[in-house]
Amino acid sequence: MRKRISGFMALILLTFLVSACSGANNAASPSASASVSGAPAQSQQPAASSVPKDGGSLIIGVASDPVILNPNYAGDRVSLTIDQALFAPLFQVNNGKKTFYLAESLTPSADNLTYTLKLKDGLTWHDGEKLTADDVVFTIDSILDEKQNSFLRANFLINGKPIKAVKVDDLTVEFKLPQVSPAFEATLVQVSPIPKHIFQNEANIEKSTKNAAPVGSGPFKFKEYKTGEYLTLERFDNYFGGKPHLDSVTYRVAKDANAANLALQNGEINVKYLDPQDVATIQATNNFEILPYSEGRLAYLMFNANSDTGALAKKEVRQALSLALGRDEIIQTAYMSKDYADPAKSFLTPDALYYTNDVPTYDNDAAKAKELLQAAGVSNLKLRFIVQSGNKVQEAVSLYVQQKLKAVGVDVELQNMDSSAWVQKFIDLKAKDFELALTGYIMGYDPDAYRILYTTNASSNYSHYSNPEVDKLLNEGAGEADTTKRGDIYKKVQEIVAEDAPIYPIAYTKTIVAVSRKYGGLEEAVLKPVVIFEDLSKIYLK
Amino acid sequence: MRRLIIRRLLQTVPMLFFVSVVCFAMIKLAPGDPVLSFVTPNMHAEDIERIRHNLGLDQPAYIQYLIWLKELVRGNFGYSLVNHQPVLGQIMDRLPATAGLMGSAIGLAVLLAIPFGLWAGANRNRWIDRAINFFSYLGISVPVFWLAILLIYLFAIHLHWLPSMGMRTIGVSSAADVIRHGLLPCVVLTFGFLAVYVRYIRSSTIGQLKEDYVQIQYAFGSSKTTILFRHVLKHVLLPVITLLGMSMGDLVAGAIVTETVFSWPGIGSLGMTAVRGMDYPLIMGITLLSSVLLILGNLAADILYSIVDPRIKGSR
Repeated sequence: MRKRISGFMALILLTFLVSACSGANNAASPSASASVSGAPAQSQQPAASSVPKDGGSLIIGVASDPVILNPNYAGDRVSLTIDQALFAPLFQVNNGKKTFYLAESLTPSADNLTYTLKLKDGLTWHDGEKLTADDVVFTIDSILDEKQNSFLRANFLINGKPIKAVKVDDLTVEFKLPQVSPAFEATLVQVSPIPKHIFQNEANIEKSTKNAAPVGSGPFKFKEYKTGEYLTLERFDNYFGGKPHLDSVTYRVAKDANAANLALQNGEINVKYLDPQDVATIQATNNFEILPYSEGRLAYLMFNANSDTGALAKKEVRQALSLALGRDEIIQTAYMSKDYADPAKSFLTPDALYYTNDVPTYDNDAAKAKELLQAAGVSNLKLRFIVQSGNKVQEAVSLYVQQKLKAVGVDVELQNMDSSAWVQKFIDLKAKDFELALTGYIMGYDPDAYRILYTTNASSNYSHYSNPEVDKLLNEGAGEADTTKRGDIYKKVQEIVAEDAPIYPIAYTKTIVAVSRKYGGLEEAVLKPVVIFEDLSKIYLK
Repeated sequence: MRRLIIRRLLQTVPMLFFVSVVCFAMIKLAPGDPVLSFVTPNMHAEDIERIRHNLGLDQPAYIQYLIWLKELVRGNFGYSLVNHQPVLGQIMDRLPATAGLMGSAIGLAVLLAIPFGLWAGANRNRWIDRAINFFSYLGISVPVFWLAILLIYLFAIHLHWLPSMGMRTIGVSSAADVIRHGLLPCVVLTFGFLAVYVRYIRSSTIGQLKEDYVQIQYAFGSSKTTILFRHVLKHVLLPVITLLGMSMGDLVAGAIVTETVFSWPGIGSLGMTAVRGMDYPLIMGITLLSSVLLILGNLAADILYSIVDPRIKGSR
């Protein structure tokens, strides 16, 4: 009997151990990723393209299985990446310029309360059915349906009122907005229509078995999925953007990063994300293009103004702490080289509309930091910095911050914790037992998305920043249709926020992707944050 | 015998109940929340709250447990909180890969452990014993992921003999292909099991060699090999039955690290993903399955024992 009991104890203990060391999230979570150390690498531009050939296949390495192949629910990196090839979006925006996919045009009315979306003619789903305005309306309606668990829903509410999608004819949809909202286009960018004829009778689309064999409208259609192994898509000949060059694209699940790098060198994987420290090894094989590109992500040090000591509620203290730190040194510490991270001053990311890095900044001036602290009447300041154990970037930066702040007379206590505990504490707006945390966000290109981070008492305002002027400007910006005026508003907001220093912006981080030199058309395919390639139909085997 | 089996099977019910309560409590006590696994900064708080409510995660933990238990009694293992697919289907999907890999690794380990263990035990403290001991300590102490990466580097990257990961070549489905892919993970697992089994069999052999019947066989003039394989072997196999019974739980969930490194699509890697996402229906499903197998394995071992060793029958 004793043996049996100890067997159970071992089992239970295992469950406990494994759950204790669990990492909470994948995807674009509010935690810094990437790692430290290694040799710097040169960034290379994709080689000039030769004449595209047809045929061949491409294997993309992914770190986990896709969660759900339905764009209304996909939130994790892998699902989003695969959905990008399976489901065509209405349109995409790069550097403020629209590229139309399923849509032919999107026109706002004179009062900016109605947007008219025209679809291209002759669109079909992978199963041959016609893709029409009905599908677009159905997609928006299911996002808005409270019983369906789409987390895009709140984006389609403006001040609690839903945006209505109305079919005009087979190729035309009108979106009726309850009030003017320039951010609406950025909301629509996230939508890839799902087929009405497949899902219309499903009570719960998220649980539907139909997601197991998705029918989309993108350049590649679903072929087979072996869970835990790979997912293969094959060419969709009726793709509206022209027949794709490759015969098939496979997403191969490679959970262990080291093993995946070996598979990349072995040719079992052709495309894969790289950590900075692995670049040198992969580059040495001379078989890969190494492509660092911006993820539209800001990495920053967060100041929690709501902590029980109230130490960071004063903006002078936050400014002083910022002055005590050196941005370039942190970038070197965390990302090895400026090749992989651009210094950040604004809270907006460079891909955002009206972004400017020409704002006041507090950086690298210890003497002035001491002065400011003295003027603010603060001495013997003690701060708590929460750190995810095992996260190399956070560990390295926290040690750096501790050392630098000590030089200006501020004590920093590092509190290491499991990553799920960290995330839970971080997103808990009532947490008062820490002052500092290193984190990052990807918010998309419309600056209105940042409203939930920086307005008083907003749902994601983790630093508890509150400035009535900023609240007012951000609300104005949300409803300002005139682009010049809107631009002025957000320029001003960026200046005020930089001045108030609710966060210490560190860097706009980059993702590094290795692509085998056997493939061309990378430039036309457009490297895109999170999903790697915007349009896989353009890639070809040389 | 039948009464014994029925009694033992009935005992498993409260045991499984206990396991499920403890397992559920631990998941709920651990920091984190299944909803956190898909929260991103640009999600709105009202969406998070709505989804939490729709999934029933805003209910107190004991209610969540009772709902889970009620569904389980009806034969419904529930749906994953992350990808919303039925739990049982996902486990069954992955089971063949793990069972095949672990089954062959454990089988191979037993087959190799018996001659090596006997050999080492019969030559106690000679060089052959020392060599076998050395390798078994190595097998116990070498980290699995390290050995795995080393083998991948050698056989896949350097020699190009074997694929480095996965279970199949993309688009190919033949048994030979699966075996080619399974060779490296199987070697890694076998090495680990072998090391432990050899130690058991060696010490059991040493014990048996001191028994009277061995001395008598010597007196009759039997050769050492005959004694070892004809007489000692039978006795030595007894602990092997226990070992096998206890590794039935491993059969399901014992290869988390190996499966992760080789991207083997088994239950180990499924379980790892579930734990990361705090996906409790899936974690519970896997835990229950491996508990059931562990219990059944032990039961089978006990029954086999009483058949193989009549001395034990009376004492039960």
